[in-house]
Amino acid sequence: MISGLFYLLLFPGLLFQVICSLFFEWLDRKLLARFQRRVGPPWFQPLADLIKLFSKEDLLPEGANDLVATLLPLISLSAVLTAGLYIPIAGFTPFSFEGDLIVILFLMSVPTLAYYLAGVVSVGVYSILGGSRSLLQFFSYEVPLLIALSGPAIMSGSWSVEQIMISQGSMGPFILFQPVGFVLAVVGLIGKLKRDPLDIPKAKSEVVGGPLTEFTGAKMGLWHLVMNIQAVLGIFLLTNLYLGWTKTFNPLVAVVVFIIEFLVLVVILSGASAIYARLRIDQLAGLGWRILVPLSLLQIGFVILMGI
Amino acid sequence: MINNLIKKAYQWAQKKSLWVIHFNSGSCNGCDIEILDLLTPRYDVERLGIVVEASPRHADVLLVTGPVTRQAKDGLWQIYSQMPSPKWVVAVGSCSSTGGIFANSDTVLGGVDKILPVDVYIPGCPCRPEAVINGLLKLQERISINGDDRPENFAKRD
Repeated sequence: MISGLFYLLLFPGLLFQVICSLFFEWLDRKLLARFQRRVGPPWFQPLADLIKLFSKEDLLPEGANDLVATLLPLISLSAVLTAGLYIPIAGFTPFSFEGDLIVILFLMSVPTLAYYLAGVVSVGVYSILGGSRSLLQFFSYEVPLLIALSGPAIMSGSWSVEQIMISQGSMGPFILFQPVGFVLAVVGLIGKLKRDPLDIPKAKSEVVGGPLTEFTGAKMGLWHLVMNIQAVLGIFLLTNLYLGWTKTFNPLVAVVVFIIEFLVLVVILSGASAIYARLRIDQLAGLGWRILVPLSLLQIGFVILMGI
Repeated sequence: MINNLIKKAYQWAQKKSLWVIHFNSGSCNGCDIEILDLLTPRYDVERLGIVVEASPRHADVLLVTGPVTRQAKDGLWQIYSQMPSPKWVVAVGSCSSTGGIFANSDTVLGGVDKILPVDVYIPGCPCRPEAVINGLLKLQERISINGDDRPENFAKRD
């Protein structure tokens, strides 16, 4: 009972993920600012933003469904936090079971659907436009991402993240065998998080704020939290699947290596958003179905042939 | 005690995280370009927690440039009323403070304070980016001293 509460509220659960997400947001914004030769925000900035959003008035336009608009961020937050319980952190896996990778992937795609619904429920023009864009983007990145992420699972012969990490401990990190899969997974993750080169659903200069245009106050704060926690968990997942050879190490070394890998992935994501300009939605669909899907199928074929 | 603590935390957060929306109510674009300068690496206001937002629903501070023309009056009021409280208004430039050189024109109502309660006036034609940053810092000071001291239910004036 006590240990269950500890897992839920403190270590892999709520508190740890919230702190990680705030740290991630600060690091990301700071790195982006430094790439652009700016100073960037101070370390407490994400926390101040979150508290401020919770202190503000809660408004919705006339005709919007308040109950659904309140439930959507809560549902996505709970889905993301639940996914966080199953993702190993530096090899620490309290709830691992066979097939948890599928559960994680399913739970991590709940916020995208809720994001689309949030756009439709809050009746603004830009919200609906952003919502339909987010759904289109979902169809473009999700298929190559899922095919790419099944590469490590096929290679280790198991759908459990812990098992994948153990087999990496004996074979070496999977990024050596599946570099293309890793790149595809990073691109898919950028699409999933709606980060800068693929921030088509919430492009400020095109659709104002995307599906969240009409959201204020605590709901907006919850959405911010969901996005950041999703980013942190996505990075943790990629670290475990492609660089997760630390399972058999001494725990202290594993923690240090895990943090270094996390930081490297954050630098890759921020660098991508600093370098590349936003794609159009048709360019993204073309990229997804003409380039990423065939590449991911090739990668899977290569993995299967290597297994034989 | 706890209420007081929460109030203090809210006040601190509101002071440290001002999200800004920019509205041009009839400006010559001089002040607008000076506001754009705030985002450049030279002046970088993100180090003070100030971010320019596109939607009024996400914003805390309304930066108004230019005198209020008869045409822009309703739009200005609508943008202001879409913002969630606590919210603040900053008049950027001489024109939005007093009407400037357009003060006696038929098509111009005057400064922003004819329509909205203004918290900070930033003079200058156009005002320098340093002046805008100084005005926003003055607003932060004001928030940390007075908190949310806007008049409730500020009525629309014609």
